[in-house]
Amino acid sequence: MKVKILFFASLSDYTGMKNIEMEVPEGITVEKLKEILTEKFPRMATAQKSIMTAVNREYADGEQKIPMDAEIAFFPPVSGG
Amino acid sequence: MDHPTITAITNDALNLDALIAQVTLPSTGAAVVFSGIVRGVTAGGDAHETSYLEYEAYQPMAEKKLRQVAEEIRSRWPSVEGIAIVQRIGRLYPQTPTVLIVCTAAHRDTGVFEAARYGIDRLKEIVPVWKKEVSPNGEFWVEGDYIPRSGE
Repeated sequence: MKVKILFFASLSDYTGMKNIEMEVPEGITVEKLKEILTEKFPRMATAQKSIMTAVNREYADGEQKIPMDAEIAFFPPVSGG
Repeated sequence: MDHPTITAITNDALNLDALIAQVTLPSTGAAVVFSGIVRGVTAGGDAHETSYLEYEAYQPMAEKKLRQVAEEIRSRWPSVEGIAIVQRIGRLYPQTPTVLIVCTAAHRDTGVFEAARYGIDRLKEIVPVWKKEVSPNGEFWVEGDYIPRSGE
């Protein structure tokens, strides 16, 4: 299935891109997708512990399964204000 | 009368007078304002100068989370009348306001100070906005230390 992936702040620097569309296995978890992306973009490993994930604009943990046509975002802990 | 709630992520300069007017009701007798400002000179152990901050947002999620912060304020402080939470993004130079939180109420002793304080603290926990600090010595992304739970 196809998913849309967005990167923000330092994660965008680590991957060199703002967004990417990817074909992933159905039922894939957030954690597994993060592993696949870290192989593709090794610099993501430097931030591994502090990568937040949002699935369809809601915070998600590693075990969460990614639904079809999801919008996934990876980013560091927020620093607005 | 309806209690106004205004939330926004914007590239435009923040207008405090206009924002206060939008959350002031006939029954309002107090408005508490918090504004974040770009600090050009930081003292102390981490002493440094800041040339500017570059703010970025995951806009649709940030707008959703701003509304969530406002709802959380309403459920904790039912006496709060109007709520405005506006985060400016883009390149912001020292002494520029970056964020405005305004909470209004009939009187000052209704929890309205705490409500505004909660607004800025919560924004800094869950609203997906980031700032890159640019100084004469280089640049780096500022990262918070709060890890939201799933669905938070």
